[in-house]
Amino acid sequence: MSLIGELAAMPGVIAAGEYSYRGDRYVCKGRLDDELARKASIMCRATTMGLHMQAGILGGFCAEGCGLVPAHGWVVRGPRYTVCVVANVFCFIDNEAGSLDRVLGLMRERLADAPADLV
Amino acid sequence: MANLDALLELPGARAAFTFNDRGELLDHRIVDGAEGLDAKVLDLLCHVCVANTAIATMQARGWEQMTGMQGFYPIEGFGFVGLEWAALTRGHCGVVLDNAAADYEAAYRALAEHGAE
Amino acid sequence: MIRRLLALDGVQVVCRFRDDGAFVDGMGLLDVDGLRRLARFAHDYKRMVQGNADQLAMFTGMPGWTPPAGWIVRGTRMSVCSVANVVCLVDNAEASLTEVMQALAEAARW
Repeated sequence: MSLIGELAAMPGVIAAGEYSYRGDRYVCKGRLDDELARKASIMCRATTMGLHMQAGILGGFCAEGCGLVPAHGWVVRGPRYTVCVVANVFCFIDNEAGSLDRVLGLMRERLADAPADLV
Repeated sequence: MANLDALLELPGARAAFTFNDRGELLDHRIVDGAEGLDAKVLDLLCHVCVANTAIATMQARGWEQMTGMQGFYPIEGFGFVGLEWAALTRGHCGVVLDNAAADYEAAYRALAEHGAE
Repeated sequence: MIRRLLALDGVQVVCRFRDDGAFVDGMGLLDVDGLRRLARFAHDYKRMVQGNADQLAMFTGMPGWTPPAGWIVRGTRMSVCSVANVVCLVDNAEASLTEVMQALAEAARW
């Protein structure tokens, strides 16, 4: 099963998807219709692009051994839902029903070697 | 008042810190052996987290208005996931954790309990 | 051609970059390393502004925001402004932002 399929099948995951860094393609599985999935991928891509720029600047100040860079992903936690992104894969999680640790753990494991050049 | 020492007891904690609305570092603790971290890096990291919390707030607002799906706004926390470490913030407080040992949900709970709004 | 921008009051640095962020040329009060960093920053910032403009258009349903023509970041003493793939560093006390943005828009067509 693909990572997107695996994520979408996890407890509490509302939707999981993947977008191209160019912004011209996306796939999504779960409880978001196609139009919302497209919009979610636009939002996640925008934050990822910004974060990579910021991490590039941050990296200029980090000394040897600093594990913060390169950027690998981000998490936004709301009162009921959490959005979690690693590389170009995103996941919407229900905080009550899902586990951020399990979702992020799987994403980090499976995307550990994802290219960082945003192409 | 944030209890940074309590936050350092989280699994994998490398640093704990507080910052103001602008993202300027106010107070911090760094554990021994957290190579590459210093006040300058934490200050910039706080700016990254404040900037992205603002962006996420805009997104949550727009998303909820557009979809009617409530539960994203107000943003409670932003997390930056680096290759080996992650920085999680909530309100005006944050922690740097080693991804290999981190319990992110426990970290958010600890930030809610010991952090600064 | 971008040299003309340096003749404007307050413009201290001007720099051009490719769509992939690579430095093309630049001049002014920065060394080559500084110019390359500015090119990289402007490229990344342009991409970020594009992403935010896309979202603004998406949430408001209002036309006219995308694609963004340019951006300005105004500091206390200095500003960075860019149109298309040209970026300028200007001294706020001496420069007219309107004049600089108009010149940048013209330079972007060269």
